[in-house]
Amino acid sequence: MTDTAIEAAGLGRRFRRRRGPALDGCAFRLPAGSVCALTGPNGAGKSTLLALAAGLLRPTEGTITVLGTTPAAARERLAHVAQNKPLHPQLTVAGTLRLGRDLNPRRWDARAAERIVAEGDLDPDTKIRALSGGQRTRVALALALGKRPELLLLDEPMADLDPLARHQLTATLMADAADRGTTVVMSSHVVAELEGSCDHLLLLGSGRVRLAGPLDDLLAAHTLVTGRAGDALDPHTVVESRTTGRQLTAMVRPAGPLGDVLQGDRPSLEEVVLAHLRSPDAPPLLLDAREAAV
Amino acid sequence: MTTTTTRARAAVRPVSPPRGLLLALLRLHRTALWFWLGLVAVAAAALLWALGPGADAAWAEYRGMGCDGGAPDLGCDLPGPAFFRYETTVTVVIGILFLLPTLTAAWAGGSLIGRELESGTAQFAWTQSVTPARWLAAKLAVPALLLVPGTLAITLLHRTLWTSDHHLMRVLAWRAWYDDGVFEANGVLATAHALAALALGVLSGVLLRRALPALGVAVAAMASLTSVLDDLRPHLWPTPPGTPSLMHKHPASHFWPLQLVETGIVMAVAALATATAFLVLRRRTGAAV
Repeated sequence: MTDTAIEAAGLGRRFRRRRGPALDGCAFRLPAGSVCALTGPNGAGKSTLLALAAGLLRPTEGTITVLGTTPAAARERLAHVAQNKPLHPQLTVAGTLRLGRDLNPRRWDARAAERIVAEGDLDPDTKIRALSGGQRTRVALALALGKRPELLLLDEPMADLDPLARHQLTATLMADAADRGTTVVMSSHVVAELEGSCDHLLLLGSGRVRLAGPLDDLLAAHTLVTGRAGDALDPHTVVESRTTGRQLTAMVRPAGPLGDVLQGDRPSLEEVVLAHLRSPDAPPLLLDAREAAV
Repeated sequence: MTTTTTRARAAVRPVSPPRGLLLALLRLHRTALWFWLGLVAVAAAALLWALGPGADAAWAEYRGMGCDGGAPDLGCDLPGPAFFRYETTVTVVIGILFLLPTLTAAWAGGSLIGRELESGTAQFAWTQSVTPARWLAAKLAVPALLLVPGTLAITLLHRTLWTSDHHLMRVLAWRAWYDDGVFEANGVLATAHALAALALGVLSGVLLRRALPALGVAVAAMASLTSVLDDLRPHLWPTPPGTPSLMHKHPASHFWPLQLVETGIVMAVAALATATAFLVLRRRTGAAV
């Protein structure tokens, strides 16, 4: 058993029909057992990264190691729920669960899958095509958890769910993951949705890793400073700075004490992410869990 | 407690891995399965009827018209209603065999592969415990294992009909052994065409990854293959010296050499298409086996 769930080195993927690469030179390490938020603007490469980790695509450059081996070799031990929740429309809910059993003969937990479906009050005899988007999400998650994965890759899992179902399914997912030490990677562009449940963050922008590392360490590395227009921000790394009238607001990575002139505040996750999204040229910050723990 | 029940459940393996995948595929494509079984049943029933009551009635009618006396009679060239029924039935079966490659290619490209790659249900299967290569192998094997016995059963019945009722088939229905439909329905060629259609459909689906374009390209590819083979057929075995390479210049003894050479070509096309489909899928997903 390895302590790394996903490790990427120089990872890149190009698509013939797109001009630029979808992913370019990505390097990060995700420790096993973490719950990682994968975020970034539309088209940042989130789905591509998850598809590479799931062994659905082959990288055009670099490598990705999943659960200590190649994604293809880890196929039985990982689950992936795609953004559009592809299920066979002609099957019933029960038929879909039976499909999960037949396609995962060595590690299917019918009870876990049935419980998630039952929590949503779904009739097992309903055809998938008759379900709402949120109900389909529930069935897709039931299949993913029924497989008892060591790594769960979820692409925009909660987008179709109403707030109550979202809350309930997130709780089920997190309880299950905590019980079994499952590593979860969950993509979303709604940052607030991720803050409560995740302990790691991976921010992608234009196919590159912008931020990576334990959530707390990333937050601790940033300070939201306010001062007067014209105040020098040296020697800190400036992510974003704005001047409104005579006031200066900036997101910085402090290189030392702030001094007397500037006032520092601990930013929220959303503020850190938004500052990076607004300034695509800000330098990336990659914190490895191993180094950060020292 | 939960853990022990989970283990107990896991210990009772309901299905072995390959069997699970095969059963799953049969359930997923059960409409096509029932359609195919229905088509085989209709064709077989039609041929069995033609072999038995259909032929008897046609003969009775023929004799009733006084046509089997040997004396030439122009009225014997105009068949009656019983023969018309017999003839229509056989034509329908030959029509089914003629349409089979087109239907197979369209279904394989559109429904079997293209739609699954377009909607993402193929990728869904690959993130279960099924590798893309095994998925593709099953997608080829299950239809092939159903196409081969079904098509062979129809051709065997047709061949029996052809040899037992040769007078009805050849003299009255104006059919010759080298007619495209008869030639394919009497040997292994109809089966080979169906398999090539399956392989071309699968390749087109894997390449295009969308249902409608894959369906269109698969049908077009199969139509081109059939048309090329129809032109090529008389040249596949040498005609007697001094005669042009035309089907009707071949003696009837050339039936099997011509059949086998063409079957070999068609199966080579099928094998090539299959290998290409596996290569394309492997290049895209990077999965070894």
